Amino acid sequence: MILALLQSAGLLAAAPLLRTVIKKMKARLQNRQGPPLLQGYSDLSKLLGKESVRSETASWVYVAGPRVYFAAIVAATTLVPVLMAAAPLEAAGGILLLVGTLALGRFALATAALDTGSPFGGMGASRDMTIAALAEPALMLGLFTSALAAGSMNLGVLVRGLLQQGPSLHPSDFLALAGLFIILIAETGRIPVDNPATHLELTMIHEAMVLEYAGPDLALVEWASALKELLYMTLLVDLFMPAGIAIHAAPGAILVALLAWAGKVFVLAIAVTLAESTNAKLRLFRVPELVSISLGLAFLALAIRFL
Amino acid sequence: MTPLDVAAGLPAAIVLRIGVIAVTLLASRRTHVARHVAFLGSAMASVVTFLMAAQVVRAGSPVHGMLLVHQASGFALTYTVDGLSAWFLVVLAVLAVPIALFSIGYIGHAHLGRRSVFIGVAFNVLLAALEIVFAADTVITFLFAWELVTLVTAALVATDHEIGANRRAAYLYLVMSHVGTGCLVAGFLTLAAASGSVSFSTILSGHVVAGPLRDGLFALFFLGFGVKAGVIPLHVWLPEAHPSAPTNISALMSGVLIKAGIYGMVRVCAFGLGVPRLSWGVFVVAVGGLSAVLGVLYALVQHDLKRLLAYHSIENIGIILLGLGAGMMALTYGHSDVASVGIAASLFHVLNHAVFKGLLFLGAGSVVTATGTRQIEQFGGLLRRMPWTGLFFLIGAMAISGLPPFNGFASEWLTFQAFLFGFRGSAEPPVLFLFPVAGALLALTAALAAACFVKAFGICFLALPRSTAAAEAHESPAVMLVPQAFLAALCVGFGLFPGRVLRVLAGVMAPLPGLQPQADMGRGAFEMASRSSGAGVMNSFDHVVPVVLVAALLGGLAVAAWVTRRAGAARRVPTWGCGGELTARTEYTATAFSKPLMMIFDAVYRPTRQVEALATVSPYFPEEVRYHSEIENTFERYVYGPLVRGIFRMADGMNVLQAGSLHAYLAYVIALVVSLVLFVWWRS
Repeated sequence: MILALLQSAGLLAAAPLLRTVIKKMKARLQNRQGPPLLQGYSDLSKLLGKESVRSETASWVYVAGPRVYFAAIVAATTLVPVLMAAAPLEAAGGILLLVGTLALGRFALATAALDTGSPFGGMGASRDMTIAALAEPALMLGLFTSALAAGSMNLGVLVRGLLQQGPSLHPSDFLALAGLFIILIAETGRIPVDNPATHLELTMIHEAMVLEYAGPDLALVEWASALKELLYMTLLVDLFMPAGIAIHAAPGAILVALLAWAGKVFVLAIAVTLAESTNAKLRLFRVPELVSISLGLAFLALAIRFL
Repeated sequence: MTPLDVAAGLPAAIVLRIGVIAVTLLASRRTHVARHVAFLGSAMASVVTFLMAAQVVRAGSPVHGMLLVHQASGFALTYTVDGLSAWFLVVLAVLAVPIALFSIGYIGHAHLGRRSVFIGVAFNVLLAALEIVFAADTVITFLFAWELVTLVTAALVATDHEIGANRRAAYLYLVMSHVGTGCLVAGFLTLAAASGSVSFSTILSGHVVAGPLRDGLFALFFLGFGVKAGVIPLHVWLPEAHPSAPTNISALMSGVLIKAGIYGMVRVCAFGLGVPRLSWGVFVVAVGGLSAVLGVLYALVQHDLKRLLAYHSIENIGIILLGLGAGMMALTYGHSDVASVGIAASLFHVLNHAVFKGLLFLGAGSVVTATGTRQIEQFGGLLRRMPWTGLFFLIGAMAISGLPPFNGFASEWLTFQAFLFGFRGSAEPPVLFLFPVAGALLALTAALAAACFVKAFGICFLALPRSTAAAEAHESPAVMLVPQAFLAALCVGFGLFPGRVLRVLAGVMAPLPGLQPQADMGRGAFEMASRSSGAGVMNSFDHVVPVVLVAALLGGLAVAAWVTRRAGAARRVPTWGCGGELTARTEYTATAFSKPLMMIFDAVYRPTRQVEALATVSPYFPEEVRYHSEIENTFERYVYGPLVRGIFRMADGMNVLQAGSLHAYLAYVIALVVSLVLFVWWRS
């Protein structure tokens, strides 16, 4: 219980930093200075301090959307092991519940986007749900592979199982990691699937969906989206490189785990940055091809592993 | 209740229904009274069957009895309520009571009011027939009730028979159903001839037939029950019949009637023909996957609310079959515990689908009553006018999308477990990879369903009204809202405490051959298979305790409230309309919403579109643009089209024989007699 609170709070605190770090690295690759590292926090505190402005046509669903989205992702953080080889709320469920909880958040936000009557919201919601629907089977197949290899769908058990097996360099791991990395890109709205930095209506998906939000409502959406990105990265770290995670609650081990986790997430952040900087955004109707690559990789991983 | 009372439960309910029908007919002059008698009486009878079935489930011992006996001919309609029957009777009653109450308000509305007596009587007959279908223990009783269900439903589908499309839907339903019933008659007669008995306990004992005949019988029964269940490609009647029927009947059809097909499949195909062969399970999973994905894909592009829900029924039947097929494959391998997971997933989803689809249809009934149209593009902004209907519809939408903590998630979760266990328990590579593929299909189905219901709820209930009818809609009366509230509460309740349901299901499944539900299957939480069994297949993959998740969600909401505590009351401003005026016409439409998926899956839809710009002065200044888009009905065109044409051609060919000439007919008779004489002479 305390652990769940601490973990959620810690991830919530770290999430804005991750986004800024990626922005900063991207800027550096483009020979720009980029924002200061604490920019994410300043943005959030500014948005939280603003007055709340909402559309006249919107109902309670519009108000509930960002809150349920935020709550779902915060709840999801308690299902994932971060520093300790056990998820704080392991008793609640495993990967399937995690995927379901994230889907709940997405459903809430997409529904709320239709509430203002602005065509942007509908467009964003439609595209977001489309991409999510395409990504879902690939995500599930990738998770299926990892779970079967480790013998459990429960992330805590899974991580402990992986630690016991020791570091494996099975080729299927690399394929599954590559497949899930594509899903990470698709689900967190990164180039080449979506562009988080633009407000040009033709290219945006997630940003179109939340275009009407302002002030504290927008802060919740932004914060939760950042948290979701950190959560997906942590999930990948847990599934493929759990080494370094603390098995006992000793202060030294936790410190090592913290450094290891931060380092591994940073590596993934570099990978995301490179993917963003070296690719152009895909047309919406090319995204299915990208996702089907992920599906194919996951299936290959499964085949290599179990044939 | 004592056991004696329990056995009398079903006849009591039937007699009650007959009494209700009689009083309804007597009071037919006063439709108001007739309506109340018919539906309140029906609800009471359903409560009686519920109590009986619940008692059977709890006690775990089947009850037998006789409905009707004719001494001279020895004709008897007997019944046995065992665990499986009781489960389906419980599902029926759980849905029938709220639908009956809803009907009082719904049928009273406008044009259906004058048909109150017909609908009330037919509703009672349909429910009685369904109860007998689930309880029948001889072939005669079963087929009698099965046929009655078909006929009454066809009549109800054609309630508004002034509309040609409804008559056509009823006709299509009758034709399809009778093809299915024909298969069932053939199958049951083969079994009866082989065993010399018409009793289910004998012919479905699993030892009656062997060899290839068993495969043939499986195919016949799957076809026969598959038509009723609406599996693809036998589904064509379903999206026509569901929207044509009055909405309360649609809810009953979608929630329970198509489950009669599932009941038959479980009873006969999975457990009645001996240990299923591996190919049967593979076939059921394949058909289930096809139905699930195609069902939801077709649902996505429907803009008739009831038709959309009808296609989702096909999808959910597919999900039920996925679990059933996984269970059947485990039965083949002899993994009794894994099989229980698959069958439990299937039976649990039967209940869940009945509850959330019933809820969604009742919500659709409220909306259609309030606006007078079924077209999604005509709705919009209904949440303001109909806050309660909107809330309940949203709960149903989240449940059908498989989102935690609602009930749809629980049974889909269990289906995933069946796949995981199945993967670990099977050996042959082609079969092995069926499980992850089925898992991916299930994930795709759930995600597409979520997209579809974001559309359905968002376009119907949110933003600005798109027509005057939607702008002037009124909330339904309490008699229509309370049943929806009840079903919504069940969606949440079954979702929060799936362990309770599983514990009941463990009792239901225990007597089925080849199953061995774990003793602790539903222990408190949702802990399946927490210890490995003798077969060594089962180790826990996962568990779910939705209540804990809800606590975490509430915690998250509290954090959200805390960080936004300084916000104060919101300022309300008009939505930015890109410089223009924002009206309902600038809103995103349902067509637009599903367009990306339609383009991505164009291999399935094969859409055709026509854009026509009408201009008088110059083609650059169109005054009117007409847009027409249509998807191809693949199955109607490529499967049923050739089939129907072939039948007509054959009938035309046979016309030559029936030329109307008396001489020719006499010649036929002589030819027949001569050939028979020759045949007998040759044999001796």
